[in-house]
Amino acid sequence: MNLPKVQFTEEQKQFRQEVRSFLKQHIEKGTFETRCDSWLSGSNPDFSKIVAEQGWIGMTWPKQYGGKERSTLDRYILTEEFLAFGAPVAAHWFADRQTGPLLLRFGTEYQKEFFLPKIIKGECFFAIGLSEPNSGSDLASVTTRAEKVEGGWIVNGAKTWSSNAQDSHYMVTLIRTEPLGEKKHEGLSQFIIDLKGEGVTITPIRYLTGEPHFNDVFFDNVFVPDEMVVGTLGNGWKQGLAELAFERSGPERILSTFPLLNEAIEQLKKKRDYAGLEEAMKLVAELWSLRNLSIGVAKVLEEGGEVNIPAALVKSIGTKFEQKIPEIVRLLLDVYPDLQSEKEIERYLAESILHAPGFTIRGGTSEVLYGILAKGVIAQ
Amino acid sequence: MSEIKEMVAEVVEKVLKHKVEKETVDLLEENLWAENVWQLLLENELHNVAVSEEEGGAGGDIEDLLELYGLIGKYAAPVPFIEHTLANYLLKQIDIKGYEQLTTYSITAPLQLKEDALFGTLKHVPWAKYAEKIVALAQEGSQQFIVVADLENAVLKNGTNLAAEPRSEVVFENMKALQKVPITAKQYMSLSKLVTAASVSKMNGALTTVFQLSVQFSKEREQFGRPIHRFQLVQQHLANMAGEQTLMTVATNNVQTLLGDGQEGLEVAYTRLRMDDASRAVATAAHQVHAAIGVTHEHRLHQFTRRLWAWRDEEFTARYWKQQLAKQMLESKMDLWESITEQNEAHVHA
Ligand SMILES: Cc1cc2nc3c(=O)[nH]c(=O)nc-3n(C[C@H](O)[C@H](O)[C@H](O)COP(=O)(O)OP(=O)(O)OC[C@H]3O[C@@H](n4cnc5c(N)ncnc54)[C@H](O)[C@@H]3O)c2cc1C
Repeated sequence: MNLPKVQFTEEQKQFRQEVRSFLKQHIEKGTFETRCDSWLSGSNPDFSKIVAEQGWIGMTWPKQYGGKERSTLDRYILTEEFLAFGAPVAAHWFADRQTGPLLLRFGTEYQKEFFLPKIIKGECFFAIGLSEPNSGSDLASVTTRAEKVEGGWIVNGAKTWSSNAQDSHYMVTLIRTEPLGEKKHEGLSQFIIDLKGEGVTITPIRYLTGEPHFNDVFFDNVFVPDEMVVGTLGNGWKQGLAELAFERSGPERILSTFPLLNEAIEQLKKKRDYAGLEEAMKLVAELWSLRNLSIGVAKVLEEGGEVNIPAALVKSIGTKFEQKIPEIVRLLLDVYPDLQSEKEIERYLAESILHAPGFTIRGGTSEVLYGILAKGVIAQ
Repeated sequence: MSEIKEMVAEVVEKVLKHKVEKETVDLLEENLWAENVWQLLLENELHNVAVSEEEGGAGGDIEDLLELYGLIGKYAAPVPFIEHTLANYLLKQIDIKGYEQLTTYSITAPLQLKEDALFGTLKHVPWAKYAEKIVALAQEGSQQFIVVADLENAVLKNGTNLAAEPRSEVVFENMKALQKVPITAKQYMSLSKLVTAASVSKMNGALTTVFQLSVQFSKEREQFGRPIHRFQLVQQHLANMAGEQTLMTVATNNVQTLLGDGQEGLEVAYTRLRMDDASRAVATAAHQVHAAIGVTHEHRLHQFTRRLWAWRDEEFTARYWKQQLAKQMLESKMDLWESITEQNEAHVHA
């Protein structure tokens, strides 16, 4: 496998500087506090609104919907800086990362005009409705179903593990629109469901730390108008696969625990600990090489290329790396992991340890990704 | 295994199995703890295991006590059993009678002793929030002491470890030492081994439960029309966990027996060092096998994995023992094989 190499232009470097000083300012002002894994567990609608005011949500999308038509690499830089500073961007993350691109590719004109400007303004957040209690890795076995009625569909069933559904307005939901037949990948469709609508119940599921994070979402005779079917009826599986490329290859699959690595290196420098720094530099080398891959995929995506296999690769090895950071750091520094600590390093370590198990599960488990990867290289 | 050990372990296992449920462990997160379980343990005289019968104890030895610590870990029992009994056992080593009132200990870093007054700060002291007495390490000049102090008048900053177990920063500002006994470096080493044997015992208990939960889950959870243990990558996780769990159980059992026999080698250090890797490997694999359900608060898994993550960075850590072992190796005249078999020519002839 190979991926394009990318060098950033002067303008892009300048843009990175702009984002960085924006984030530093907001940390100083106390708008937010750096946290590990904040892209998924740090939902802060007020901060998302501020980001929107900068023109940084949907920044690559067409101007006619309020976008800025910036490049994928600009967006890459933006998200990287959010991650490096552990900014709470979870509220708008899914809409910016995958719902927008999904609608641009498969959505109707009505859907684009209705949703994209709202997303761009930071007023409309999306959750992802794929998993069900009995359908995790075997996603195609979902049983949430819809029956045709006049002008739309009646949906019944339940989704689970929906991150941030509590703060979201809509959910792109994978639904069975034809009875389960021989081929379970067929007869699935993607619906946009209004989470504030009648018949929808959202109940929080507490993460192991006790924090609210993901949710059960129940549908009891929920009416979904025809206009809210995304793309082609029955084509939900294929459309969903296209989304996964965006979902799996981004810098959030490498940098969830970056604030910890950064702080650890600061501490080792302060202590002038050569041996410790030498070990830490191995992590830095790994980070650099993983980053090349992730940026390479972003480039291919921009050019409309096929990236399912390299995206699975980035996610499987990138998440292993983010999981490794706390395990190495705790050996290099005498740090006591403590969520309530005043010391950043102790807090970051605790956050990283407690959130790490999810890295290699969410967005497809590593085991499932290995299967995709192996099939991919064999088919080549 | 002594008869008493078997009997006592049976009683404790019964109490914990029936009384410590998921919600019982959760009490810690609401700033409560399982006082009823504690009462049951007291009623059954279990806090007096390894206290001789002449002293009003229940008999048994440190091996028996360590076995119980394994059960505390296995059930994540939210009681200060280890803290109290071990504090008293440490005192027994220096010929001081144990306390009835709830006692804890912290001997990883020294306080300063000036005449009879104690100064300094102890961090992450277990259960100090509830304890009345503390057994601590203190230093005056180059002499080390084991001291006892009242926690009543100490300044506490209460917090928790990663598993929501109570941990406090305790500030000693001119506090009276109720007891002070000078100890040698050799004695300190043997006390630190006792404390470490307690940690590896409870860690092995938790690790065993993590493994068992995973095996169980892999039989119950189905995807793609079959139980997930049928997938080879899941099998690999199960096999790796089985290896780690067996390694650690046998090591822990060895350590417990050796301490019971009054032998103090480097085995505790090896076990603690290896436990660092085992706890990481098992916690990671278990979460991977459980996938999403395992990272929810509702599921029990985290009550044990969070304990492993917390305990591995407390007390005498792997880092500490790594340094001790390196030091021993540097100073030893034996080569590696002689040191592992603890036998060289000089020894045999002597
Ligand atoms: C923090 C977090 C956030 C999430 N957010 C969302 C969200 O917003 N929306 C959403 O829809 N979902 C979300 N998920 C759910 C996630 O997509 C699923 O957890 C994941 O797909 C795995 O499904 P499962 O948990 O049911 O595990 P299972 O599929 O039951 O897997 C259990 C174990 O079996 C293994 N396994 C299963 N099948 C195979 C196989 N064929 N070969 C080898 N091994 C196999 C798995 O790898 C795993 O180790 C989230 C999960 C987490 C942890």
